[in-house]
Amino acid sequence: MSMAQKIKALIVDDQVTSRLLLGDALQQLGFTQVTVAGDGEQAYQIMQKDPHHLVISDFNMPKMDGLGLLEAIRGNAATKRAAFIILTAQGDRALVQKAASLGANNVLAKPFTIDKMKAAIEAVFGAL
Amino acid sequence: MNADVSRKRLHVIQGKFLVSDQPDVVLTTILGSCVAACLRDPVAGVGGMNHFLLPGNANGGGSGEATRYGVHLMELLINALLQKGARKGRLEAKLFGGAQTMSRLSDVGRKNGIFAEKFLGDEGISVVSSSLGGDLGRKVEFWPVSGRARQNILSGNETLKAVAREQPVAPKPAPADEVEFF
Repeated sequence: MSMAQKIKALIVDDQVTSRLLLGDALQQLGFTQVTVAGDGEQAYQIMQKDPHHLVISDFNMPKMDGLGLLEAIRGNAATKRAAFIILTAQGDRALVQKAASLGANNVLAKPFTIDKMKAAIEAVFGAL
Repeated sequence: MNADVSRKRLHVIQGKFLVSDQPDVVLTTILGSCVAACLRDPVAGVGGMNHFLLPGNANGGGSGEATRYGVHLMELLINALLQKGARKGRLEAKLFGGAQTMSRLSDVGRKNGIFAEKFLGDEGISVVSSSLGGDLGRKVEFWPVSGRARQNILSGNETLKAVAREQPVAPKPAPADEVEFF
């Protein structure tokens, strides 16, 4: 079993199209265990019941945004060790710094490329 | 810049978007194979327009770079509208452009139109009117608060000029594009 097949990934984005694109990308990278959520609240509920190894979350979402989700996940003993990658359509340094200070593993700008997504995930888990 | 705007007549160039909640603002653009999506929340009284031409390998669905770029341009417009008080569930769309012009041999115009329709359909945003395809370019005006839109069909020569300005190349990604390892 490859590393990608072992990792349980949670995709969080309020846009259906973005969730589909992310799901496609993970599938191309060999992932087989992928869950999706439409906002931070839903994602956090999923994580509490079933902690995933990797969370890839949009920043700009209704209810709880990507940084709010990151903070909640890092603040819960059961979920705090999950790898967390933030995707953002508006990449600015302040967001990157805030994400880093809250314990994000990575920040990627949209539109992401498969190679950059792969590099970001492999930086945490090693070769997929 | 893709910022809030208060001047009256604003031109939206390829790869950009503008939003406004000012009733006297008119957003304009000239389209050949490009597509402009005009989105508006009638309750919040805010609207905006983008203008895009996806690279030739774009298709209605798929997971290629071109599709991700198109989704990105739609998302920027939607995010800007949400920041001005719009709600996604109330957004309505008008689509223009995607001409199949003689000077472009590929069917990139048609693919851009299909991409926009599929994106809006997947996101549950209703398309209240559209004028896509054909073989001539368009000059489009959109009043973002009222949602009124007007288009003039370009002549053959004007269409050639419009298409000549269109570059199916993705602009540079946002600054945070470099992978940041913490």
